[in-house]
Amino acid sequence: MSEAARTPFVESLREAAAAAALPGRGIGWLDAARCENLDAFLAAGLPDTRNEAWKYTALRALAQRPFALGDAQAASRPVEAAALALAGIDGPALVFVNGAFRADLSRLDDLPAGLSLEPLSQVLAGEPEPLRFALARLYRDGGEAFARLNAALAGDGAVLRVAAGAKIAQPVRLLIVGAPAEGELAWHARHVVELGEGAELELIEQHLATGEQRHLGTQVSDFVLREGAQLRHVLLQRAAAGATLVRRSGYRLEARAQATLHALELGGALVRHDLAAELAGDGARFVTRGVFMPTGRQHIDTQLAIRHQALGTASESIWRGVADQRGRGVFRGAIVVAPGADGSDASLSNKNLLLSGQAEIDTKPELEIYADEVKAAHGATVGQLDERALFYLRSRGLPQTQARALLTAAFCRAVFDDLPDAALREHLDTLLIGQLPS
Amino acid sequence: MSSERSDVSATLRDNAEVAEALGRRYEAGFVTDIETTSLPPGLSEDIIRQLSAIKQEPEWMTAWRLAAYRHWLTMPQPDWAKLRLSPIDYQAISYYAAPKAGPKSLDEVDPKLLETYDKLGVPLHERAKLAGVAVDAVFDSVSVGTTFRKELAEAGVIFCSMSEAIREHGELVQKYLGSVVPAGDNFFAALNSAVFSDGSFVFVPKGVRCPMELSTYFRINAMNTGQFERTLIVCEDDAYVSYLEGCTAPMRDENQLHAAVVELVCLERAQIKYSTVQNWYPGDENGVGGIYNFVTKRGDCRGADSKISWTQVETGSAITWKYPSCVLRGDRSVGEFYSVALTHHRQQADTGTKMIHIGRDTRSKIVSKGISAGRGQNSYRGLVKVEKGADNARNYTQCDSLLIGKQCGAHTFPYMEVKNPGAIVEHEATTSKISDDQLFYCRARGIGEEDAVSMIVDGFCKQVFKELPMEFAVEAKKLLEVSLEGAVG
Repeated sequence: MSEAARTPFVESLREAAAAAALPGRGIGWLDAARCENLDAFLAAGLPDTRNEAWKYTALRALAQRPFALGDAQAASRPVEAAALALAGIDGPALVFVNGAFRADLSRLDDLPAGLSLEPLSQVLAGEPEPLRFALARLYRDGGEAFARLNAALAGDGAVLRVAAGAKIAQPVRLLIVGAPAEGELAWHARHVVELGEGAELELIEQHLATGEQRHLGTQVSDFVLREGAQLRHVLLQRAAAGATLVRRSGYRLEARAQATLHALELGGALVRHDLAAELAGDGARFVTRGVFMPTGRQHIDTQLAIRHQALGTASESIWRGVADQRGRGVFRGAIVVAPGADGSDASLSNKNLLLSGQAEIDTKPELEIYADEVKAAHGATVGQLDERALFYLRSRGLPQTQARALLTAAFCRAVFDDLPDAALREHLDTLLIGQLPS
Repeated sequence: MSSERSDVSATLRDNAEVAEALGRRYEAGFVTDIETTSLPPGLSEDIIRQLSAIKQEPEWMTAWRLAAYRHWLTMPQPDWAKLRLSPIDYQAISYYAAPKAGPKSLDEVDPKLLETYDKLGVPLHERAKLAGVAVDAVFDSVSVGTTFRKELAEAGVIFCSMSEAIREHGELVQKYLGSVVPAGDNFFAALNSAVFSDGSFVFVPKGVRCPMELSTYFRINAMNTGQFERTLIVCEDDAYVSYLEGCTAPMRDENQLHAAVVELVCLERAQIKYSTVQNWYPGDENGVGGIYNFVTKRGDCRGADSKISWTQVETGSAITWKYPSCVLRGDRSVGEFYSVALTHHRQQADTGTKMIHIGRDTRSKIVSKGISAGRGQNSYRGLVKVEKGADNARNYTQCDSLLIGKQCGAHTFPYMEVKNPGAIVEHEATTSKISDDQLFYCRARGIGEEDAVSMIVDGFCKQVFKELPMEFAVEAKKLLEVSLEGAVG
C-alpha cells in the first residue's frame, strides 16, 4: 500500500468497514465483491489531481477528514413530512435518511401495476440473485475510488423495476435526505433501476437536508432500459451547505430506448456527479439538460460521458453553469462514437456565466470519433451577461441586481423549457431564482 | 437516387488509378551518401560533455546541459496524449551526427549537400537570391549554411545557427535561452536542453522590420540518430519577423526521434509570425518506420501590444506531439494558432495549442483543422486559460475534423479554465466527412475524383492556408494533395 493512501479519511473508513454489519452479509458473491472493492479502495485511497478525471476537483481537504460509517440513529432522526413534499406531485416515494431506509416516511402502498419498488436491504434479505450483475461489479480504475467505496459499504438504496409494457403514470420519487447527527458520517446508497421492454417511467430524485451537517454521501445508480423503454429522470440536488456528495449514474440504453435527464445542482460544499450513458442498441436516444450554480465556496463538478455504440443513436446535451462568489463549476462532456456506430448524431453545448471575480469555471467538451457517417458537434463558452440586455432592462427602471438576476434566470431557465410537467417546471424555476443573488 | 450515388462511389473506390496513387511514395525519402562524424549511441554526462566540447561551447552552456540532463533522469516519459507508440530506447540513439567536412562558408559546402537541398527545392545558393528568402539549413545535427547574412547584418538582424550564436552572441543567448521553455519544462524539452545540437537563432533589434522572410530547413539524414534542434527568436520593441520552418527525412524502417524546442520572445509592440510545414517521413502504409516528433514550442508575449502567430501544416511524422503555445503576458497582446494536421495510413497526431491569458485585454484565436484518412488518428488538444488579472480577455476557438474512411479517428480535447468574469471564451467543434453528395456533385461536373477530394480538402483548410506566406501556401497545398492520394472512401 502506498503511503499516500494512509490518510485520516482512508483510515477512518478502514476501521469502520471492519466493524460494519451490512445487509446481505453471507451472500458469497456479494461478500467477495465488497471485499475486493474495499481492498482496492484502501490500497489506492483517493485520487489526486494528476488523475485526469479529478484534474479540477482536489480531494486533499477531504482526505484529511475522518468519517463514521452510517448512522445508528437514522431511523429516529426527525424529518418533517412537509419538508419532503413536492407541490402538485403525489405518488410512490422511497425515502432514505443518512443512507438508511425510512418506511415511516416512504409511500409504498398502492403501487401501480407493473411497478416494483423496494429498498435494497429488503431485496438482499429476500431474492438477491437478480442484482448480482449490478452489485458484483469491480471498479478497476483509480479514478473510481468512490464507486469502490460505495460497492464495499453500501447497505441500502432503491431497487426499482418496471415490468415490460407498463406505463407508470405517476412519477416515482426517490428522496435522499441528510440529517444532522452527533458527528460527521459517511453514508452510501446503491440504486438499481430497470425498465422492461416498452416500459415508461418518470423518476424524480431529490437530495435534501433537514439541517446543517458535513456528511459524506456516495451514491451509485444503475439504469437499464430495455428495448423501447422510456425514462424521464429529474434530479434536484439541494444537499446541506457543508455536505460532500459524490454520485455516479450509469445508463444503458437498448434498441430504441429513450432517456431524458433534467438536472439542477444547487447544494453541497463539494459535489461531484459522474454520468455515463451507453447507447448500446440501434436508435437509442439520450437527452440531458442541466444547470449547476456554485456560489459561496461551493465546488460542483459534473462529468458527462456518452458512448454511441450502435447504429442511428442520438444524444443531445445542453448544460448551463453559473458561478458566483468563490464558487467553482467544473464540467466535462465527453462524447465517444465507437467504430461502426454509423448514423450517430451527437451534440453538446455548455455555456457558462461567471458572476464574480473570485469564481471559476473549468469546462472540457470532448469528442472521440471513430466512425465517419456521423454528425458530431460541441460548443462551450464562458462569459458574462449581455451588457446591452442589462442596459435595456435598466433603462426600463429595473435595478442593477434585479436586472442581473432576471437575465441569469433566463439563461438557465431555457434548459428546462422542454420539461413536460408544469408543476415540476415551476418548482425548478423557484429553486433556481432562490439561488441567485438578490 | 441514393443507391445510384453509392454505386458511383463504389466504382470510384475500385478505380485503379486510385489504387496506384495509394502506392505513391514519400518524395523526400532519399538518403544522401555523405561522410559523417557522429557520437556513439547512448546518453550519459560524458556524451553531453563531448558534445559540448565538439561545439566549443562556453562553460555555462555545458553546465546548463548537464543540469537539464540530471533533471531529465528524474522525469517519466509523459503518457497522457492519445498516442500509441513503441517504447523509445534513449540509449540506442546517437545524439550527434554531422557531415565530416565542416564548411567555412556557403561556397565551401559539400556539393552533395547542396544537391540534397536542391532536390528538396530549398534554395541555398544562387537560387536563393531569386527566392528572396534567407535560409539556415540544418543537416542532421549541424547547420550547414545560412544565406543572406550580409543583407541581414546591414539591417541589424542576427540570423545564424544556434552553435554560432552561443559562441558569438553568448550574452544574448544566455539572457533568453530557457526563459520561455525552462530546461526542465517537460520530459522532451529537458532531453532537448541536454543534447540539442543546433538550430537557428534570430535576434531582431528595436524598431527593425526584418527585410525578408527567414527560414530554416531541417533534414535528418544519418541512421540511428535523433535530431534535437533548438530555435530561439527574440524580437525587441517594435520589431517584426516572419519565420518559416520546413523538414524532411529519408525513408527508414526504424522510428527516428525528433525532439525540438522553439522559444519566441516578443517585447513591446513586436510581432513574430512563425510558420511550419512539417513533412518528416510518416512511415509506410503499415506503420513501419517514420519519425517520432515530440516538439515543445512556446511564445512569450512579454511586452504590451505584442503579437505571436503560429501557423502549422503537419502532414508528416508517424507520431506528432506538439502544442505551440502563447503566454499572453503583456497587456493587449495577441496570440494566434492556425493548424492543419493530416494523418493518413497509421499516422497519429496529438496536437493543438495553449493560450495563457495573463495581461489585460489579451486576445487569442485558434483555428484547427484535422484531417484523418486511412487508419490515422488525429487529436486536437488545447488549453485556453484566463488568469484572474486578465480583464476583458477574449478567445475564440474553432476545431473542425474531416474524416475520410471508416477506420480513422478524429478527436477533440479542449480545456477551458476561466478565472476572470470579464473574459469571453468560446469553443466550437464539428466533425464531418466528405460526403457522397459532395463527390457526386463534383463528378457530375466532370471533375475527377482525386481533384474533387483535393478541392474539398483545400476548401476545408482555406482559413489556415491563407495565413501562410504565399510560397509556403502553395507547397502546403501540394503536400496535402500528395499525402492524401488514394485516401478517398
